[in-house]
Amino acid sequence: MTTAESSAGPTFRMYVAVWLGMIAIAAVEAWLAYMHVSPHMLLAALLVLAVVEAGVALRYFMHLKYEVPLLFWTLIPALVFAFVMMNQFWADSARMNSLRFPVP
Amino acid sequence: MTAGDVHGAAMEPSPFLIQSKKLTVWLFIVADAATFGAILFGYGYLRFGSPNWTRPFAFSPSIINAFVMTVILLTSSLTMLGGVAAAREGRRADAMKWLGATVLLGILFATLHLREWSTMLHEGWSLSANPMGGSVLVGATFFSITGLHLLHVICGVIAIVVIAIGFGTGKLTAGHVETTGLYWHFVDLVWMFVFPLVYLLNLR
Repeated sequence: MTTAESSAGPTFRMYVAVWLGMIAIAAVEAWLAYMHVSPHMLLAALLVLAVVEAGVALRYFMHLKYEVPLLFWTLIPALVFAFVMMNQFWADSARMNSLRFPVP
Repeated sequence: MTAGDVHGAAMEPSPFLIQSKKLTVWLFIVADAATFGAILFGYGYLRFGSPNWTRPFAFSPSIINAFVMTVILLTSSLTMLGGVAAAREGRRADAMKWLGATVLLGILFATLHLREWSTMLHEGWSLSANPMGGSVLVGATFFSITGLHLLHVICGVIAIVVIAIGFGTGKLTAGHVETTGLYWHFVDLVWMFVFPLVYLLNLR
């Protein structure tokens, strides 16, 4: 089998730049948490920053940017779909309490 | 010519052009991400749905400690990348040094985490107790989420030690180091959600 042992990746200098960027994002998150914004706005902002940070980690640290696109399209959309479904149905599960039959 | 090049051969080349062990780790990561996702979504609904949710984390020492832990884990990802690069290039001694640094950073992360847990347990926090008088789900979700992540860190440290010994003695290849690195970066990635959602949303 002729699969590649490892694919070509970025330089170590780029890794250091990405590492510094991720620390900066974490610092911005901590700073944002001390700003007086509503909890829902804070949640949205922190989630966006966390997704950006995770995307950078996936692309550079986990080398998804340097793999064949098929790997990304096989794995990530299915995971995102699962998260979207969780977002839809976890909230709906609260409705179950009112759907129970009354205790005789 | 390889078996995959022959028409009708039993073995076909991977459509992803990666080794099967790397694909296996990717599939594990996707499944594990769904597990963490489910727990974090559940936590999110409890956090915003509970009127008596208490916020236990003060700037010092909790948030400072959590930020230091974040930097340590991010740095361990960087040292892991150094280990993978050295292993690929056949620099065995360098790879061992990088992997050793990753293990030390992983142990430091776990130590800081356990110290935080110890402090909280002494304050009266547990899976079913809240010394601040609010919802007991605060402790339940905190210890469940951080405990599952800590378990991943400890497993990762053990895995890196095993892989480093195997690579150092020539029994394992750079591909093994790379797949272990993939797992370690995932552990780092999960913390990128735990830090803001569990700590920063619960400032005192």
